[in-house]
Amino acid sequence: MSAEYAIEALNLTKKYGDLVAVDHVNFQVKKGEIFGFLGPNGAGKTTTIRMLTGISIPTEGTATIMGYDIRRQPIEAKEQMGIVPDISNIYNELSARDNLVFTGKLYDMPKSFRESRAEELLKMFGLYERRNERVQGFSRGMKRRICIAMALMSRSSIIFLDEPTSGLDVQSVLIIRDLIRKLNQEGLTIFLTTHNIEEASQMCDRVAIINRGKIVAVDTPERLKRTVESLQSVEVAFEAMPPDALKGLREIPNVSEVVKEGDKFRLFTHVPSSVLASVWSYAQKNGLTLITVNTLGPSLEDVFVKLTGIRPATEGDDGERMGRRGQGRRRQ
Amino acid sequence: MTDTHSSRLGREARVAWAIAAKDMRTYYTRPPSLMFGILFPFSLFLSFSIGRNVPLATQIPILIAQTLFFASSSIGPVVIPIERANQTFDRFLTSPVSLLSVLMGKTLAGVVFGVGISLVPILVGLAFFGSQIINVGALVACMMLSSLGFSAMGIMFASIPGQSPGQVLMPLNFVRIPLLFISGVYTPVGELPSWGQVGSMLSPLTHTIELARYALGGEAFFGPAVNIIILTVYMVVFLFVGIRFHIMNQRKE
Repeated sequence: MSAEYAIEALNLTKKYGDLVAVDHVNFQVKKGEIFGFLGPNGAGKTTTIRMLTGISIPTEGTATIMGYDIRRQPIEAKEQMGIVPDISNIYNELSARDNLVFTGKLYDMPKSFRESRAEELLKMFGLYERRNERVQGFSRGMKRRICIAMALMSRSSIIFLDEPTSGLDVQSVLIIRDLIRKLNQEGLTIFLTTHNIEEASQMCDRVAIINRGKIVAVDTPERLKRTVESLQSVEVAFEAMPPDALKGLREIPNVSEVVKEGDKFRLFTHVPSSVLASVWSYAQKNGLTLITVNTLGPSLEDVFVKLTGIRPATEGDDGERMGRRGQGRRRQ
Repeated sequence: MTDTHSSRLGREARVAWAIAAKDMRTYYTRPPSLMFGILFPFSLFLSFSIGRNVPLATQIPILIAQTLFFASSSIGPVVIPIERANQTFDRFLTSPVSLLSVLMGKTLAGVVFGVGISLVPILVGLAFFGSQIINVGALVACMMLSSLGFSAMGIMFASIPGQSPGQVLMPLNFVRIPLLFISGVYTPVGELPSWGQVGSMLSPLTHTIELARYALGGEAFFGPAVNIIILTVYMVVFLFVGIRFHIMNQRKE
């Protein structure tokens, strides 16, 4: 069956009593693209993915997977996809190899094909040496790799990845990101849900942002960034952390907001040139030595914050959340 | 069209068997399966039989029925909540196979467990207590219909949205244990008052005991034809209701 889109959500809606978790959502995922699905906790990401993959039945609307309607042709639609949920749902009592072979059986793959495919994937994921061990004792990263390998068993044309790198060590994250890119280059359509906006910005051809059950934006990361070009900023760091710096920097004209990011400050402004001059004056007046000055463009995270209404932490909040806001910004 | 249909059916049957085989391998030796499927019926039987002045050979049909009842109905309530907690049940829902086949696979795992465990009292009876199989057909019907029906009953209860076997086994035991008192386990059906006999006729366990007793040369109060009809009706009802409940769960997901 030929279809224009790999995935098409058509008025997809899910209600739990009076609560509308997903509200008439419409979007299309083109064949062969990496499509990011972003949103704050409770926005409806997982509910949407559960409806698209057949775990949950929509209250209204439907979706097509490679042209097959998930409600009217669920078997054909499910043949087109592999799924990696947010939790590695593998069978701990089975070996790595048996987990893959069992997945092959669920897709009714012929014995010789499922065994050779399992072997190929175990080698690809660096698990071949431990193929006969129960996965119970495997690390989280290894379990994640098995879970992804299981999703690839049937050579489906779409793969749904729900938080694929969440909670993994750096090495596993890099391996999985590389793999996603490689699979995409081989023609696989990737539907990626992630909390890591920087990851989405780096990897996705297009992203959709969902908030309170509604899609608030669908576009390429760069085009989305251009929509909030007003969110420019100046990043400064001083040799010694000045007392009351947040208060002092906030008093600089044309600065709309100051965010402390580790040992740096980020000053949001419409006119970076004017702020640069003011920062220089501020440093001289207070006897401070500037060690870093950068002007920055908006990041995808800034777009996310603007569209979802989630405010970043500022004064009096912890540094971690503040620090994350600055990731992925463009240096100018 | 017929070819497509038969290939679809064949595929569903193969997947159902793969699910059953995986469940057998993974869950038969789990503590709740061993406790509620094996230890429970044998303990109940021994606590009831020891010290009573009744020949043990006449009690073998009761043990066959109890093992079929408890073992078959325990697998679904052990497997499904564990798989729900690990999210491995979602794997079936996202696989290209119908919910019916998934639940048939789970039912089959209960059938094999129930039949396997109930073979123990049959072999013990034949080897040590002089039991004889007088009607093989009745025994086969008893084992197949009962294990299918009780396994489907377990699957039906497993639609209770819990994530640990205890959350399903506890309400199931509220049904299973009272059934022992009205099914001719402790008091023969003929000795029950008339309202008790009506209750007894409505209990599927009564008909399992009666068929097992009939197969081993004993008397059946309601007769084997009634036993087979009622067990068949229960099997169909449990399967149908179980599937409906699981579909309702999917809508609520």
